[in-house]
Amino acid sequence: MKKIAAFFVTICITAALLTGCGGSSGSGAASEQEKKTMIIGDTTFNPENAEPDVNPHNDYAGWATIRYGIGETLFKLSDEMELTPWLATEWENTDEYTWKITLRDGVKFSSGRDMDAEAVKQCLEHLIETHDRAPGDLMLEEITAEGQTLTLKTSVPRPALLNYLCDPYGCIIDVDAGFEGGITAGTGPYIATECVSGDHLTLVKNENYWGGMPHIDELTIRTISDGDTLSAALKAGDIDAAYGMAYEAYPLFQNENYQFSQIATSRAFFCWMNYESPVVSDPAVRKAIAMGIDKEGFVSTLLGGNGEVAVGAFPDSFSFGGSSLTTEGYDPDGARQQLEDAGWKDTDGDGIREKDGRKLTIKWLTYPSRQELPLLAESAQATLKDIGIEVDINNTADHNSVITDMSAWDVYASANVNASIGDPEYFFTSFCLDSSSKNKGHFHSDKMEELAQQMAVEFDPEKRSELAVQMQQLILDDNAWVFCSFLKMSMISKAGVTGYEYHPTDFYQVTADLDIEK
Amino acid sequence: MSQVTVRKQKRKKNHVRTRLIVFAVLAGILLLCSLFSAYLTPCDPYLQDLSNAKAAPSAAHLLGTDRYGRDMLSRVIIGSRTSIYSTLLLVAVVTVTGTVVGVFCGWQGGKWTDTVLMRISDMFLAFPGLVFAMAVAGVLGGGLHNAILALAAISWPKYARIARSQTLAQKEMPYIRAAVLAGSSTAKILFHHILPNIIGPILVTAMLDIGTMMMELAGLSFLGLGAKPPAAEWGSMMSDTRSLITTAPWVTLAPGFAIFLSVMVFNLLGDTVRDYVDPKSR
Repeated sequence: MKKIAAFFVTICITAALLTGCGGSSGSGAASEQEKKTMIIGDTTFNPENAEPDVNPHNDYAGWATIRYGIGETLFKLSDEMELTPWLATEWENTDEYTWKITLRDGVKFSSGRDMDAEAVKQCLEHLIETHDRAPGDLMLEEITAEGQTLTLKTSVPRPALLNYLCDPYGCIIDVDAGFEGGITAGTGPYIATECVSGDHLTLVKNENYWGGMPHIDELTIRTISDGDTLSAALKAGDIDAAYGMAYEAYPLFQNENYQFSQIATSRAFFCWMNYESPVVSDPAVRKAIAMGIDKEGFVSTLLGGNGEVAVGAFPDSFSFGGSSLTTEGYDPDGARQQLEDAGWKDTDGDGIREKDGRKLTIKWLTYPSRQELPLLAESAQATLKDIGIEVDINNTADHNSVITDMSAWDVYASANVNASIGDPEYFFTSFCLDSSSKNKGHFHSDKMEELAQQMAVEFDPEKRSELAVQMQQLILDDNAWVFCSFLKMSMISKAGVTGYEYHPTDFYQVTADLDIEK
Repeated sequence: MSQVTVRKQKRKKNHVRTRLIVFAVLAGILLLCSLFSAYLTPCDPYLQDLSNAKAAPSAAHLLGTDRYGRDMLSRVIIGSRTSIYSTLLLVAVVTVTGTVVGVFCGWQGGKWTDTVLMRISDMFLAFPGLVFAMAVAGVLGGGLHNAILALAAISWPKYARIARSQTLAQKEMPYIRAAVLAGSSTAKILFHHILPNIIGPILVTAMLDIGTMMMELAGLSFLGLGAKPPAAEWGSMMSDTRSLITTAPWVTLAPGFAIFLSVMVFNLLGDTVRDYVDPKSR
């Protein structure tokens, strides 16, 4: 009798549990139908890529702010990388130092505040106080606000000021709304509600967006730094679109169920040289490294042809691009001779050269979230070994802290969009000057400083291009940076996704046009 | 015992002996292959040829090529040295360390040194093995040597336990008491009398552990905590190429099959050795 009672009780409990499951999934489905959701998988929204949150005034987090439709800048770059107004409607140069900018009417921050000149002034003042690159880029001396008119006065003539304001750090946010949890109130089509960098970012549509009603109710950006997991997630339908897919995975998605949005960008894979390294500080070693990397093979095979071989810092499509520059090509024999002449000889017959008792071993620092950087490292490891240089690879997500220890690396390979503001000055001010925050290898050249000063005050675009060419040639002659390739970048999405288009800057991604057929 | 039963037992023993010979020969072949791997590779396993990347298996490259155009067969062969010899080294280290600690503790039997060492081994046994190894390898940094150290750190207590319990049992045997009375030194008793009598079960455990250790080492390498590029090691070779499993499957399957084959041979050899030395099957 007891057994029968126990049996019935078990049946009842199981039935109740199953009913509970059924009920909850049913109601879930009903609410899903009402709400349009979308998930984008992204390999780079993490502290490893200097995007620890969505506060544009923090390091490179502005890239996430603008990429995911939270913030917008006063000006933006067109598909042809030309300057066009965005939150501004027009501008006027009253003299070399003064810029009068008229702001768009009817724009509200997600906090509910109107975007007027006072709010923009507050935002720019906060930016200059807190950001590492912005003060040196903008050189702002005085900001005046009057209604919708903003007047910017620079301390020196600043021809590229408006381009610099296109940098993602120039996203206009409501400073009064605060920065709690790294979340800021912008003017974009989406509002961040939850931010866990390295894991996910939750966004909801901004119903008061000035550019029309966004289509997605809830948008999730899911950080998936591992390329294989990203491709598996898209294949399994766990995500609707993917950014940062490894080129090797492309064949899996080249069918009618998926679509690609692809464009050539100025995102370069390039190697930084450490001028304090006992081996790489030798110009002959730097030259041999430049001659010992098979860029053609890397682009055609390891990038699957999704890129172009780089000469200088910018692609050929720019007037200041690589066509007017010269640098070392892949020349193993020349590299061997170079090292031999500089006294680096293999005396113990192990295939690695030595000089004054020191082995020619270089510590190659790189990181995994840009999927092809480790491939570049391993390819260079083989070709450099062939000329007698041993490469010890450190492929770590913690590269930003390793790089601060000058004895921990000799060569650092990274990916960066070099012409993100459509003007060449950004690259030089960010990387090549004594004051540059990204001059991690401690490169110094008096000539470079002098040319940078000239460029800073030069308004004529042609002359700026000429200066950019000279400056690039200067660093190429010294092999201070070795530019390997520019990438053709792609975003892959399910067939039903619309309005998810790649832009050459690599940071306009989520717009009000984004939609998905469910 | 009837004559039929005796005959059956004899046949069973002969069968075990045949199995032992077969698997010992197979394991010997694997060991010889890895020992002479440098001479057996048809191509240079580290030579990149980007123009021939991801080539499917063919007469020129029996197991195809990887994403850098390196010959997979050569890499699998040269990888055997790292994978098999690292495993043997690891098993040898943990067996010797564990046995020495266990014999010492067993001899001490209940004294404070025994208690302290056994509580330390309890601590190591309390952690989930591979997770603890990952933590150790993570702290020490990547590299095959550190991976071996990490696995050694978690694996010795098992041997210490076996050796201790066996020593405790042997210690009370009359021949040991006789040896003590005869004035033999402790070292002589431990190494001359006790060790030869307890080594059987320890060796069988070690044989059975080779396969497991090989898997764990490959697992650590797969997670990026073992061999570093361009070193060919089966676990890291699988990890590096797992993105190619759908587009160029041979690149991942070749080292995977090598792991499968070696682990199977060493496991079966371990099983057979256990059966062979088992008194019930004698």
